[in-house]
Amino acid sequence: MAVKERDVKGREEIRQIQLERLQMTLNRAYLNVDFYRARMDSLGMVPEDVETEADLRRFPFTTSQDLADHYPYGLFAVPLKSVVRLKIATSRDGRPIVVGFTRRDVNLWQSLMARLFRRLGITDRDIVQVAFNYSLFPGAFTFNHAAEAIGATLAPSATVSARLQLQIMRDFRSTVLATTPSFALHLLDTLDSDREAGRNHHDLHLKLMILGPDPTPEGLRQRIRSTLGLPVYGLYGVSEMVEPGLAGECPTQDGFHAAEDHFLLEVVHPVTGLPVERGEEGELVVTTLSAEAYPLIRYRTGDVVRQEAGPCPCGQATLRLSPVIRRTDNRVSVRGIPIYPERVGKILRAVDPSIDDYRLVVGTRYGLGDTLEVRIAHRIVSGRADGTHTSRLEEIRSRLRRELGLGVRVQEVPPERMPQEGLTLKTVFREKV
Amino acid sequence: MLKVLNVSAHYGTVPVLRRVTLHVDPGERVCLLGANGAGKSTLLKVLSGMHRLSAGEIHFRGTPLQGRKPEEIVRMGLAQVPEARQLFPNLTVRENLELGGYIHGRRELRHTMDEMMTLFPILRDRQKQKAGTLSGGEQQMLSIARALMTRPKLLVLDEPSLGLAPLIVEEIYATLEALNRQGTTILLVEQNALGALDVCHRGYVMETGRIVLSGTARELAEHDEVQRAYLGRDYRHKWER
Repeated sequence: MAVKERDVKGREEIRQIQLERLQMTLNRAYLNVDFYRARMDSLGMVPEDVETEADLRRFPFTTSQDLADHYPYGLFAVPLKSVVRLKIATSRDGRPIVVGFTRRDVNLWQSLMARLFRRLGITDRDIVQVAFNYSLFPGAFTFNHAAEAIGATLAPSATVSARLQLQIMRDFRSTVLATTPSFALHLLDTLDSDREAGRNHHDLHLKLMILGPDPTPEGLRQRIRSTLGLPVYGLYGVSEMVEPGLAGECPTQDGFHAAEDHFLLEVVHPVTGLPVERGEEGELVVTTLSAEAYPLIRYRTGDVVRQEAGPCPCGQATLRLSPVIRRTDNRVSVRGIPIYPERVGKILRAVDPSIDDYRLVVGTRYGLGDTLEVRIAHRIVSGRADGTHTSRLEEIRSRLRRELGLGVRVQEVPPERMPQEGLTLKTVFREKV
Repeated sequence: MLKVLNVSAHYGTVPVLRRVTLHVDPGERVCLLGANGAGKSTLLKVLSGMHRLSAGEIHFRGTPLQGRKPEEIVRMGLAQVPEARQLFPNLTVRENLELGGYIHGRRELRHTMDEMMTLFPILRDRQKQKAGTLSGGEQQMLSIARALMTRPKLLVLDEPSLGLAPLIVEEIYATLEALNRQGTTILLVEQNALGALDVCHRGYVMETGRIVLSGTARELAEHDEVQRAYLGRDYRHKWER
């Protein structure tokens, strides 16, 4: 009986839906979440004071710290009974966050993803190979559900090796590959070495790649286009809410169309918090309009983006975002895994409090974090590498591996040989050839 | 078709509607659910021009409605079936329909009346009978037919299922679906959530003058809060933390 949700068209129509859902979200947050009610009370506000987007700007931002402060269930707007899925994320200062989804939330995020798939021309005739590490990127489940929802054939190949991925791609005749930009690069390398061994890639049936959650560097896009002749599409999401269907590219590839019927987006100056002009860089701030279990009001994503100007040739009137330009914090991404240098520092000092300084040396290719090396320095260099020293380095290595989910090389260097940090705290990027 | 933007209304100083925003697209069947005192009927009174709004805007087919007189609003194509029928019990069925079609000329009136009797054959049989002698279901049909006499683009109904037997309610809902298929957009206000969601595409839920939930009919029918509040599930079962 339910009418299929239409693609929203005109600006006016979008604004009407946004206002309806914004008021509903504020009403629900006020009635059901102590945190938001206390905030509104302290400002002398009630939900009905918000008549326009400008009124919403009186509302303070919600930060990653707020989410961690109210861990685990403090920001839930429904009883646990109505929550069907929990997702664990990490706040920017390394504390845990848990996001809840009702059945309706889950269905909705799935439908957003399905909508993005349809826009890219993915149909029930496609075979969608999903190669993500599900524990590091739970958003990948949404790819699976959406592929099945539109009737496509799903091949969740997860984290098997590049060779096996390629074999699956050939044998299953996969037409769509969804993976991280880093893994796509690794696949290209494997194809190259195969070609040298005399095997060509003409037996692949891919028609497009969807890469995320990190933005795909232009160089990599071009390499995929020139070697495989495939278009690459990007998606955008925020792990504290829907991931990854918040925005996505259309075939025109001129910015990420935001799902404005379910999110209210603002681009603000990271320091002043005031809205920036369209086309200028700023931090993306998101208010969920449809999330039931975990509504977020004016959440600071930490992602610096630009709102693209002018209408998209594809005809959709939704707001378009640039790919993420940088972060407002120090987060770096290595093989798709988000890493905060501060957190690395904490882990290092927990194992060895005598560590004086450290650097993250991120080996990049096409600007994508590929390897991580941690260099540590002590105030007084312990001189010869004795037994305890080696075992301590080993302990650091295994601790980092466990906590970050990534193999890390650890090296002791004298303080004077510590590389100069760049714009990102305690971090140096080195492009590999 | 209909856009309600930030509408507030008061009875004296008591706020009854607190920035209600909703819309109905052409061809849709939309329901507005809520318990007693949620503000549903007040919203309808505001829509028909019977109650003044204290803030906000209403647009009907692109034209602002606020400040217009009830009869103007009817002429613009928005008709209401009021709660508890509000027929003229001492007038005949025919006379009641004639009053509903007051905006038409004689020929148009006869033509529309004929259409109504085709739509509701029972009214043809009872046309000379006084409205007060009809059964509850027949009165409800007469009330709907009377509203349809103006050939509205948007038909707004306030609790048409109130006090009627389930089978009769089903019949009335089936009529609404048929009318909708012929092009009349429908806004249905109900406490009977289950029935209304069954017949509508989308819905909004009101609580103390605010919209607290909206979605497709299916989403709402499956929604814990709707079940808790309106479908009679055990309160504690649904709302324990």
